Amino acid sequence: MQLKEIVNILECKNHTDEGLLWRDIEYCYATDMMSDVLKTCKIGSLLITGLVNQQVIQVAEIMDLKGIIFVSGKEPATEIIEKANEKNLPMLTTEKQLFEACGILYTFGLRGREIFQKADDGTGNSI
Amino acid sequence: MMEQEILYNKIFGISGKDFANAGSVSVKIKKILKEIGIKPEVVYRVSICCYEAEMNVIMYARIAKLNFTITPNEVIIIIEDEGPGIENIELAMKEGFSTATQEMREMGFGAGLGLPNIKNNSDEFKIETELLKGTKLFFKIYLN
Repeated sequence: MQLKEIVNILECKNHTDEGLLWRDIEYCYATDMMSDVLKTCKIGSLLITGLVNQQVIQVAEIMDLKGIIFVSGKEPATEIIEKANEKNLPMLTTEKQLFEACGILYTFGLRGREIFQKADDGTGNSI
Repeated sequence: MMEQEILYNKIFGISGKDFANAGSVSVKIKKILKEIGIKPEVVYRVSICCYEAEMNVIMYARIAKLNFTITPNEVIIIIEDEGPGIENIELAMKEGFSTATQEMREMGFGAGLGLPNIKNNSDEFKIETELLKGTKLFFKIYLN
């Protein structure tokens, strides 16, 4: 699913370059703990979180996250948005709560997947 | 034992409490590995281990040196810090155990996953610590 569809579904505000919204999202991960992202998040996931700080951007870079959605109407500071733009990291915000945002995306077919978990067809092209 | 050929070596400094630059050394290491053409799984494992270790220094220690080496067979990371040391390594290695402060938790850390995550993502792992002096962390990730 493309990020721009997610923008519509979750009624998101986009804080970064519109061109990044063509990015295709395969997996999602939701947490407020960055340690969890480093431990179990699938490389290249979309992160849905209520934690708004610089650390999220650094973790996104390490894990090659495809984008970040901040929930509960939390607005990132200007310097966080600037950093995301520098790194071509799509950054969205939604008024929806974490549980609700995840539930909606799940009903639209998005799923989570753990780090290094092999593809379902067994090809091993999991990263 | 034969000395291993060193393909690349660099030493980075990390300052404790420098939350503004937290993670920047790991991001640099990741870029170097990617540019050299190391396979993605190894790049991610090294980056994750470095990031966890870097955050540990920033959260707990005063200062540290991170020694990053690539040989034909492995990536070797040694992080030596000046800091409080770890009182009980056995506990620190247990998932879920953490001495993080509220401030650290608010930043999304302190879930007690750091050291276990480094151990899980590395092929060789060693930790030495001395109370009130510091901690030396050593880990290797094989290229193949």
